[in-house]
Amino acid sequence: MPASPDSYPHFGQPGKPIPNIPTPESDDPEDFVEIEEEEETDDFEEEEEPEPMIPDAQMHMDRTRMEALFQRLSSERVPVRVHDVIIKGNTKTKNSLIQSEVEDLLKKATTFQQLLRAAGHANARLQRLDIFESVNITLDTGPPELPGTANVIVEVSESTNPLTGDIGLFSKPKARSWSLEGSLKLKNLFGYGDLWDTSVAYGWGQASEVSAGFSVPKFKAFPTPLTARISLLSQDWLKFSSYKERAFGTSLGLVSSGNHNLSYDLSWRTLTDPSQMSSHTVRRQLGHGLLSALKYTFKIDRRDSPLRPTRGHAFVSTTQIGGLLPDFRSLRFIRQEFDLRYAVPLGFYRAALNVGISSGVVFPWGSGFLNTPSQLPERFFMGGNSSPVCTLGGPTSVLGFKARGLGPAETRRNAEENLNDESSDSSGMDFIGGDLAVTAFADFSFDLPLRMFREAGIHAHAFACTGSLTKLTENAHREFSFQKFRESFRSSAGFGIIVPTKLFRMEVNYCYILKQQEHDRGKTGVQFSFSSPL
Amino acid sequence: MGVFTFVCRESADEWTAKQLSGELETSAGSTYELQRKLVQVALSSDSSGAVQSSFSYITPSSAVFQVVVGGASVDGNEERENLTLVARKPCFGLPTACPTCLPVYVYLRFAHLPLNLEFNLIHPDSDQIPFVESGNYVAYNNERGGVIWSLKEDGIVDLDSDVRGIPEWVSTKAMVESWLADAVMYELWVGSDGKSAYKIYYSDLPWPIGKILYLKQVRAVKQLLGITSENAERREEEIYRRSTSAYGALSSRLGEESFFFENRPTSLDAVVLGHVLFTLHALPETSLLRSKLLDHTNLVKFAESHKAEYIDANSSASVPESDPSTSASRRGPSQWSSKPKSKPKREKTEEEKKFRRRTKYFLVTQLVAVLVFLSLLGGSNDAEVELEDDDDALNYD
Repeated sequence: MPASPDSYPHFGQPGKPIPNIPTPESDDPEDFVEIEEEEETDDFEEEEEPEPMIPDAQMHMDRTRMEALFQRLSSERVPVRVHDVIIKGNTKTKNSLIQSEVEDLLKKATTFQQLLRAAGHANARLQRLDIFESVNITLDTGPPELPGTANVIVEVSESTNPLTGDIGLFSKPKARSWSLEGSLKLKNLFGYGDLWDTSVAYGWGQASEVSAGFSVPKFKAFPTPLTARISLLSQDWLKFSSYKERAFGTSLGLVSSGNHNLSYDLSWRTLTDPSQMSSHTVRRQLGHGLLSALKYTFKIDRRDSPLRPTRGHAFVSTTQIGGLLPDFRSLRFIRQEFDLRYAVPLGFYRAALNVGISSGVVFPWGSGFLNTPSQLPERFFMGGNSSPVCTLGGPTSVLGFKARGLGPAETRRNAEENLNDESSDSSGMDFIGGDLAVTAFADFSFDLPLRMFREAGIHAHAFACTGSLTKLTENAHREFSFQKFRESFRSSAGFGIIVPTKLFRMEVNYCYILKQQEHDRGKTGVQFSFSSPL
Repeated sequence: MGVFTFVCRESADEWTAKQLSGELETSAGSTYELQRKLVQVALSSDSSGAVQSSFSYITPSSAVFQVVVGGASVDGNEERENLTLVARKPCFGLPTACPTCLPVYVYLRFAHLPLNLEFNLIHPDSDQIPFVESGNYVAYNNERGGVIWSLKEDGIVDLDSDVRGIPEWVSTKAMVESWLADAVMYELWVGSDGKSAYKIYYSDLPWPIGKILYLKQVRAVKQLLGITSENAERREEEIYRRSTSAYGALSSRLGEESFFFENRPTSLDAVVLGHVLFTLHALPETSLLRSKLLDHTNLVKFAESHKAEYIDANSSASVPESDPSTSASRRGPSQWSSKPKSKPKREKTEEEKKFRRRTKYFLVTQLVAVLVFLSLLGGSNDAEVELEDDDDALNYD
């Protein structure tokens, strides 16, 4: 039976619901199949038609009718309007949450094709909430008296066990390094899609954090997701800068949409020195402080892969303003970071040239700001083994130098009993960080000729990086000159092999230090470097 | 900054020196003594900062001696080479108001050492403060028995070399450092209302941090002094009794002298002076300890005279004068006022206890009455409801 031109009645015919997307027997476009989560085998609600036909002939007629229908659906613009969105299967989750995720998408569709695509989007969005085990979107006919309409039935099935545990390697911007984290999550406790989690994280050698937080994707009238986190963080820098930092505070994510991210931090920070060997600058900064800062991040990442970018660009700008409470005794500073990355494909062996530059500056404000020193934890420290290609966290890494191994250094206290030190590389210097930091790098990466390596994702690279860290506060900016700034750049170059695994990304590099200053801790030789796969 | 150039001549075994362009002159028996006297003379006319001097012979009987006062401390790095004491905040008219920092300051003043005074306002719970630093050398208070002991061990300044062997000196020092130190700690944190402690230690920290640290410190002090809710009164009596006998002993030891032993300042004098000044100025007027101290006028006079000579003469603008309490204190020892409130406090506590007991009885009686009323009313309510039902039932018939 050919499709009649006035085939609207197909949608509005009583008792003949539009079937779900069929099994892949038919040669229809792919997007039909993707919408369904679970395959439902028998969706054809066939009413018993009082037609005295032979079963074979009836089946044949149905099939030709179906084929004609799909032919029409795929070739022509079939106008349709969504009449109602029916939500089923949610016992705990609030209707308003599901509606807010899918309704605007579905109601905007005007043709059948758009409706299918919108249904696919809506499904993805609901999946992303991470609180449902399965999501099913069914298109149904609208009420018989309204031709040309369709109903959408959203059927969700909530996870029975709201508690999940997790262990993984993540990169933590707060601790400025990556860490091993174990967390327990409670999902959807109140039905708003809220996610409660507590986590314990242990960072690479120095940092440990215990925190609890919650996030809600859409709460009543708020347009953007809300997150709040309370954490106790402790970092041990005794070997590098002779102090230990402990911060207890909360952080609220205020706006987080697309490229913009705004959050507020309020924490009580304490610096102590149990070793009693710190240098003059660190001694002056030991004590308690209240950090109340607003942080704004703008991020664009158009590279094709965050782990091995071969084309595209990325730009991140982070601004942090501290001391916004009316209490003048909280820490006042302004901190700005810029990151720029660019990747150019070179055509052969999946080779690419990555270049990047990062810079940052921190400065206090308030009365007498020209003389006050910047806060020690807010300063920039350079060194460490993270790869500059993958990390977008500010000017922190110059390959070849140890953690905090670059920059202004000050002699520690004289030890009366100067026996053979436990840490032979301490050399009695504290690295006190700088206020103006610039790093730049160029990295040429390419596939290895062996097919085995290529399939495993192992590739090689050659790089050159440079960085500089200078002090600007306490009237040091008066002696600042471009000549001195240029001379303060340290640099290194080398080559290596990158092995990406599921848990982490490992690099084995041979670095050669081209230029370093007197107290820097750069070492020429083979080094391992790890970064998180995210 | 001042530069003093002297021309020195020897005649008949005596050296005389005369300022090249000025009126200062002196004489002595040896070049060594001459140099010392010239430095003192230069300092007395220009007493700001560090001293550098150089002596050079021109002929065997004539020389040039130059003294530069305060000339080398413009650069921050060179400033670090001088002796710096990092202490807690100055207030109440004292150069530093913390009872552990003040004796160290007084000791260094007794030694006539040029001293920079710096303040740490953000670490009230640190036991490293006060500390003395000079370049890369640091003497913390929580190492080796304290700052004064470390300074003696490292050869920087030692005022106790003669008296250390006298048993009376040792036992007096032990008494002061245990009984009187405990008394001050008790009075500052537990015995008074905490305003002085708050002002000295926490006034530069943001409010929530200051409050939490203050409560932590009060608890720590109670633990240190062994005070629990059962023995609080007994311990208080014991502390006050000991401080009274300590004051009596000190007062009789001092007599009318200006120092405790050998008419010279020692670390014992520094500790006692620090304690007395703190008790007089920083503790509130209602403090019992303070009133006990005021009974011994010779101790008060000892404190006031030495304060005027060593502390006020040398202090610069680091001592704020904005407190109203300081203006009262400058009137002199005869006008110290004290309003001890110990006795009324004890009576009040008994009255308070009686009052609380009565309130409790009252509340319990009220509660019982309410419960009885509710149970009776509940019973009568049921009866009423049944009646209504019967009425309704009748209506439907």
